[in-house]
Amino acid sequence: MSGSAETAPAAGATAVDGGSIGAGWRGAMLALGLAGLAAGLVALALELASDQDDALPTGLAVLSSVVGWAFVGVGLFAWWRRPDNRVGAIMTATGFAWFLHSLVAANSAPVFTAGLVLQNLAIPLAFSLTAFPTGRIPTRPERLVVAGAWVWATLLTLALALVTVPGPGEPENLVLVGDGGGLESTFRVIHESVIIALAVALIGALGARWRTSSAPQRRELAPVFGAGAAAAAMLAILTLVDATTDSTAASNTFRALTFLAVAGLPFGFLAGLVRARVVAGRGMTTLVQRLGDVPAPGVLRDALADALGDPSLDIAYWVPEAAEYVDAQGRPSPLPGPGSGRSWTPVEREGRRVAVLFHDPALDRDPEAVRAAGAAAALALENARLDAELRRRVVDLRESRARIIAAGDAERRRMERNLHDGAQQRLVGLALSLRLARRHVGDGSPAAPLLDDAADELAETLAELRELARGLHPALLSERGLDAALPALAGRSTVPVSLVATPGERLPPSVETAAYFVVAEALTNVAKYANASRAEVSVARENGRAVVEVRDDGVGGADPAAGSGLRGLADRVGALDGRLEVRSPAGGGTVVRAEIPCAS
Amino acid sequence: MRVVIAEDSVLLRAGLARLLADAGMEVVGEAGNAGDLMRMVALRAPDVAVVDVRMPPSHTDEGIRAARTIRERHPSCGVLVLSQYLEEAYALELLGEDASGLGYLLKDRVMDLDRFVDSVRRVGEGGSALDPEVVSRLLGRRRGGPLDALTPREREVLGLMAEGRSNRGIADQLVVTERAVEKHVTSIFGKLGLPAAEADHRRVLAVLAFLRA
Repeated sequence: MSGSAETAPAAGATAVDGGSIGAGWRGAMLALGLAGLAAGLVALALELASDQDDALPTGLAVLSSVVGWAFVGVGLFAWWRRPDNRVGAIMTATGFAWFLHSLVAANSAPVFTAGLVLQNLAIPLAFSLTAFPTGRIPTRPERLVVAGAWVWATLLTLALALVTVPGPGEPENLVLVGDGGGLESTFRVIHESVIIALAVALIGALGARWRTSSAPQRRELAPVFGAGAAAAAMLAILTLVDATTDSTAASNTFRALTFLAVAGLPFGFLAGLVRARVVAGRGMTTLVQRLGDVPAPGVLRDALADALGDPSLDIAYWVPEAAEYVDAQGRPSPLPGPGSGRSWTPVEREGRRVAVLFHDPALDRDPEAVRAAGAAAALALENARLDAELRRRVVDLRESRARIIAAGDAERRRMERNLHDGAQQRLVGLALSLRLARRHVGDGSPAAPLLDDAADELAETLAELRELARGLHPALLSERGLDAALPALAGRSTVPVSLVATPGERLPPSVETAAYFVVAEALTNVAKYANASRAEVSVARENGRAVVEVRDDGVGGADPAAGSGLRGLADRVGALDGRLEVRSPAGGGTVVRAEIPCAS
Repeated sequence: MRVVIAEDSVLLRAGLARLLADAGMEVVGEAGNAGDLMRMVALRAPDVAVVDVRMPPSHTDEGIRAARTIRERHPSCGVLVLSQYLEEAYALELLGEDASGLGYLLKDRVMDLDRFVDSVRRVGEGGSALDPEVVSRLLGRRRGGPLDALTPREREVLGLMAEGRSNRGIADQLVVTERAVEKHVTSIFGKLGLPAAEADHRRVLAVLAFLRA
């Protein structure tokens, strides 16, 4: 099974195995083949029996039928391999139409006349082979050229037939209108000019498509496009030669060359199939060699890309527990949707999904090669998959840790606000009321000391509550950032603190909070344990990281594992993908340093 | 003296109104948010507005912003900002460039009734009031240098100057004569190398500028 935006409807039904096709189908193919053989023989007989002055020599007549048979034969082969793809049918039809041009060699008037009208139908059919390899003509210029060829082969050819006066030895033209009115030479010039123009236009359209094709597409297109362009060029040249020379010998020489060039189309098609297989085979050998050791994910991708000749190839790994594909870094990597211009092929190992290869849609025409490459790499892919699954889990854990801390911060902020706008406000109001009440109580009253004590107690409570709220979340930090909050922090320290650097800009809130708490905790430790005479604080943004550093000149010997404060800080910093480092040699002061990534 | 009070806690607002009325001031408006405050200041021409830093709707620093707007549009109205927390950043932002008619106090200071009333009156008269805690932090930060040359008494006087007190107020606080305070002030300015300033709020600015340097 494979999926692709380009061939989505057909992809599921792709039959690579001829054996699955029904017997009726095979019989029809056989019948068509026999019919083609017979048609070629009839054409050959008509050519050889011709009494006309410019009848083809025997060699050319045989070559002509061989060309037709080549189209029918290769066309049927391709049709049988890929029944869903119209290219095989088109090629077969081209072969049958090819034989029609021999009708004009007939000695019988009705057959000759039919030949005049039908002889060019092989040309638009051959042009339609630009539908290779998908079965659909992809670009507008190509479609216009093919449409033009149909108009030329039907209407213009019919118009020419109506005025064609039979030459010496030719039977009667049954559709001749009057005496042709002497229009034949004019019509013939128009007829020939149009086909030359169409042949040139076809070459241009093929060139344009070639330039926009990917490497695997080009590898596939090369033989067919080469042969097609050569045939179109020869058609134009032959038409020109026919029109400008009376020499039958020269004309026949170019005719022979043109037949050979046209025959190149089916053989180019065959060559393309064979070549793809040879390239794939060679690539596969190299792939197996390169997979000998356990390859790094990048090497694995390169090896597969080389083996399949698709530099754009990419790998995603299946994570069953999340039911999603992830890249080698563990990040989600969804399948390409319709219209993305990308295809994908899953790789299974022992019946379990392992990975998926994202590749150029051109590789869909050779699904065996992609599957073979996937199978060869399955073990290596399984190893890489386990790695990717672990990485995904790490990504998950890191994200959930950051979310938990962010949720905790949000909750602390909410609590701080509730304290500030609730209890603290009310207590200040209450304290003021007590003081006012005290005024109305004489100093001698027994209530006076009670009121005084109550108010003093309230003042203490307020101070404690303020510290508690500030510890929950410093309001100044969220309002003004580190530039304002760090000086305030430094100012409250009992050990003199010099603030060496502040960021000078707002950082992401989670980074600001982490940096703030690192400084707060470090300064608390300085005051409690370091016995320091001074401390230095700096928070600066360097190369996309917030670098926080608190150093003191105290006794050192701080053990980061001992206190829960530093441990919690390391967790908080780690959740942001940062690192916390404590250097505290005995007697050598303490340096607490945190580096926190902050993408702007 | 006409006063407007902006404070979203009803109990505290009522207490403040009572306190200031008892002190002989005329409370001409009580607002619960910054919008009402601005309207009352515009309509009732108070001498001073007592303003809470955090007020509805955003509960961040609308008091500080309101104070700046009031000083800009109604220069005759002083603003005393009350805050649950002392933030030097806010204090210096508010008083750093023009301390006249501006004050910044910790909310708890209302409990020292007389001193608080004095602060309101000072700001209403175009003076300034900076919370003693902020001052002591500023003083504490400037260790070393010319400050060390000051006597303990002179440091006390310097702190009271920074709070915005007049010589008279300082004299009352320290229970000395105004003459004595004047002598201290002259000595301090000499030792710190500051130009003598007449108006109290200019003196505050000079001292603040020195402490922040």
